[in-house]
Amino acid sequence: MGDENIAKKKDQRNPKRLPNKKYAIKKRLPLRPVEGENVIFVTKKTNFKAQLEKCCDLLSKGEKEIILHGLGAAIQRCCNLALQLELLFSGTCQIEVNTGTVDLIDDLEPLTDDVDFGAQVRHSSSVHIRIFRNAVLGANK
Amino acid sequence: MEPTEFDSALGGTELLPHSANSLKFAASRSIEIAAMTESIVNPSKTKLIFQCLPVHMRRRVMSHNCKRLPRRLRKGHLEQLKKSGLPPKQKRPSRKYRRRATNMLDEYNRRQRRHVWLETHIWHAKRFHMIERWGHRIAYRPCDKAFRACYRASSAHCLIQDISYYTPFQIKGSIETIKDMFSSLTSSQCGLGICAKAYLNGNRKGIINLYMPESYPFKFIGRVEFIWISNSSNKELWLFLHPSIAKQVESVLSDIINKPKSDAHHEENEANAIAKKRKIATKYSDIQIKVMAGMYNRFRLTGPRSHAVLVQTLKCLKEIGSFRTNDWLQHIDTEKTQLFLKPKYDYWDSISSVNSPSQLPPGLVIGLVVKDPRLSRPNKRTKAQNKATPTETKSLLNIPPYVSSSPIWDTTLCEIIKEKRITNSQYIEHITKTQLVPGEVYEDDPFLQTIPIVLIQRPGSQDCSYKKIGYGSGWDIIIPSGYGLPFWLTFIMFGARSGGLRETESLAFEMGDSYMPPDSEAGEIEDKRIELELKEKYFKRPPSKRVNYVKLAVPSPFICPWNVLLKEWKNVREEKLFVLRDRDILHNLQNCMELNKKVSEMENSDHCLVPVYIQIIGKGNLTKHAMICIPNKRDISLCEKLMEPHHEDGNTKLRKQKRAEQKILLKRMQKKRIKLRKKKTPIKEANGPKPEGKNKHEPSEYVKAMRELWLPSKIEAVRNVGSREVMGYLSQGAFSYSEAKSCGVGYVTFNAITKLLECGLNKVLVRNTTSRKYRLANIQIIK
Repeated sequence: MGDENIAKKKDQRNPKRLPNKKYAIKKRLPLRPVEGENVIFVTKKTNFKAQLEKCCDLLSKGEKEIILHGLGAAIQRCCNLALQLELLFSGTCQIEVNTGTVDLIDDLEPLTDDVDFGAQVRHSSSVHIRIFRNAVLGANK
Repeated sequence: MEPTEFDSALGGTELLPHSANSLKFAASRSIEIAAMTESIVNPSKTKLIFQCLPVHMRRRVMSHNCKRLPRRLRKGHLEQLKKSGLPPKQKRPSRKYRRRATNMLDEYNRRQRRHVWLETHIWHAKRFHMIERWGHRIAYRPCDKAFRACYRASSAHCLIQDISYYTPFQIKGSIETIKDMFSSLTSSQCGLGICAKAYLNGNRKGIINLYMPESYPFKFIGRVEFIWISNSSNKELWLFLHPSIAKQVESVLSDIINKPKSDAHHEENEANAIAKKRKIATKYSDIQIKVMAGMYNRFRLTGPRSHAVLVQTLKCLKEIGSFRTNDWLQHIDTEKTQLFLKPKYDYWDSISSVNSPSQLPPGLVIGLVVKDPRLSRPNKRTKAQNKATPTETKSLLNIPPYVSSSPIWDTTLCEIIKEKRITNSQYIEHITKTQLVPGEVYEDDPFLQTIPIVLIQRPGSQDCSYKKIGYGSGWDIIIPSGYGLPFWLTFIMFGARSGGLRETESLAFEMGDSYMPPDSEAGEIEDKRIELELKEKYFKRPPSKRVNYVKLAVPSPFICPWNVLLKEWKNVREEKLFVLRDRDILHNLQNCMELNKKVSEMENSDHCLVPVYIQIIGKGNLTKHAMICIPNKRDISLCEKLMEPHHEDGNTKLRKQKRAEQKILLKRMQKKRIKLRKKKTPIKEANGPKPEGKNKHEPSEYVKAMRELWLPSKIEAVRNVGSREVMGYLSQGAFSYSEAKSCGVGYVTFNAITKLLECGLNKVLVRNTTSRKYRLANIQIIK
């Protein structure tokens, strides 16, 4: 089953992304928004449960707000995480969602001796979710 | 009559309320509750002060010598000691210690004669285990047992290593001839050539695989990093060679230049050959090679924070200004060679808020002129932080053409800088004399000279399906000699964590790179060294605690017998091998693996090893020299129970016999000695003269024979010894933090992969050398 999926993926590879056969595409790390203790970047690889627990810890330890960032294919996981948190902290937390576009840079690495390096910009959608505690609970603290 | 009851309702005296107010109830006990929570949160400490210190601050015999504690804790520590009785007073230092050399420098110079020391040697020797390797004394691992901390530094912070032992080679000559010379040493199938357009303008560093002349794919030498430098007049090529291959490359290159190959043209007639010879003799004569060992310091910073560390440390020169009086700046003709101070300052400023070096163009080379690093050093060790301003994508896309030029490549300048360097004592003297306000630093002081440096970016992982993007990215910094320590200390003060050679090994492993491949001379030597080490360790154990490898069907537990394995996979006589580095074929193989297709034929496939990355599925830990085996079709479903059956050890009886004989012999000798002693003849005379030239440390014949019985040194078969066919071995295996799994880097024979794919499998079995258990693992080709 898994093999079939991969095979499909290979065939469906977007021809637009590879402009020239003389290049190989290499990805760079995307630029990050402001980092901090309460900022969490959701990825496809990180364990969902672990990140949920991390968020729970942060919120119950008195963090006023946490910010989740999700990029591209991780948007769905990011939303799931936020919704789970909303369920867990029902009534005491609120969610604010922003969407945006992030510029990603791909490097074109030459495969033959006669071409130079290149770079191209690709756009990817992103989601930024702010989860903050309601005033009620803050007063109780 | 005595009241038996308490409650008034039952006839007692006490009147109880019908309801209890919980708030009141709790309030009246608030003090007790507070005390309890207090004791839970802060349990009363039973440990002494020095026991509470974090691991990296602990020192030996701390309780006896209070000077090993941080100063702020000493008072409390002494108070505690008073209760238990003060330790005995420190002894007077020994006479030997008091009489040791007052001039340590002479002593140091004497010790450096055998092995070269790096500039940061003394700093490292205090904190690291030092080993001798490749003619250098190199830091191996930090003493503070911080293996995981070093991984964390490389993945989330900044790891710094001194790799000044890399030898720079300067090659001068026209591009055409250099290209011609390297065409016999490299192959276009491995990647870009040395004269690729991408590298020629000098903005990026490149990596090539070097082979012995005209022998691709055999006789691999090693991977070499290079930069093209465009001076005012012509271009120069700089190679940076690992010390294990430096000697070899030097001899190969000088051979090519001095001795033109005439035997390559045997088939041509003589007259023609002579003419050609003359032509070839002049062909490479304009190439000059200089070995610049010890000319530069090179530090390797790995991890996302390495950029922040550099930004904080390096204060770029905006304009020459008051520094015009610097000797080296006076020496260069500023009109002829442009320094581009202002545009470089702006460029460095524009990329200063980048979160990680892997966001910059891969292989970027930046030449900067910076102020003395001692000026920017913080008072306390602090973690360097990024600026929060967003970076423009434009500055990341293009590299300005002037960025990579640097005066550092002019060797006369480096000598001037080294000569005029300000030592620490001079620096302190100057600062205390001129500084009016303590703590304030005057950065534009012409007394301290500016230093040219070069930064080289390493992109780290660029393939998200293999390793997380940007892992292992960082900067290499090249500093003129003499200024290694000031820079090093400033990096450390900005929160870089120092690592040694072990970290280089583990970083290569975490990246899934092959470190010291077996087809190069350096790799072979390294393998032999490891074998010797492991063997020593094995035979130090008492026989009852030794693993019996014969019973486990592991013919060679300490070294991978590549030649024997290749011979068995295809009946070939010649003992030669190579590791597959052809980009297209590797790519094809990986595709075939993923899609379960059959592999097409290849040239030289009988001698070919393929580098693979192994990831275990489920439980189990991989170690070095573990065997990679081909599973049967049924194994994949019932792998849990798959064990190697017990094997018979035919040598057990022989060993027992030999031991008994030896015991008898020893007893006889003892009796003889006692007899001689009674007769009062000296034993030496009776035994006759001792055989000369025998090493004291060499084991006796008996020990050698016993070792041979434990571990037969001549291996004839490896492929079919166990119940599953062996296809290859792991050259490195451990728990990988970046994958959260046990992983390994190894090599398998090409023919074995073909067989594996013919069976329609893309999983393998792995068995450790000390175990009978086969474990299932995923296999990936290392590209």
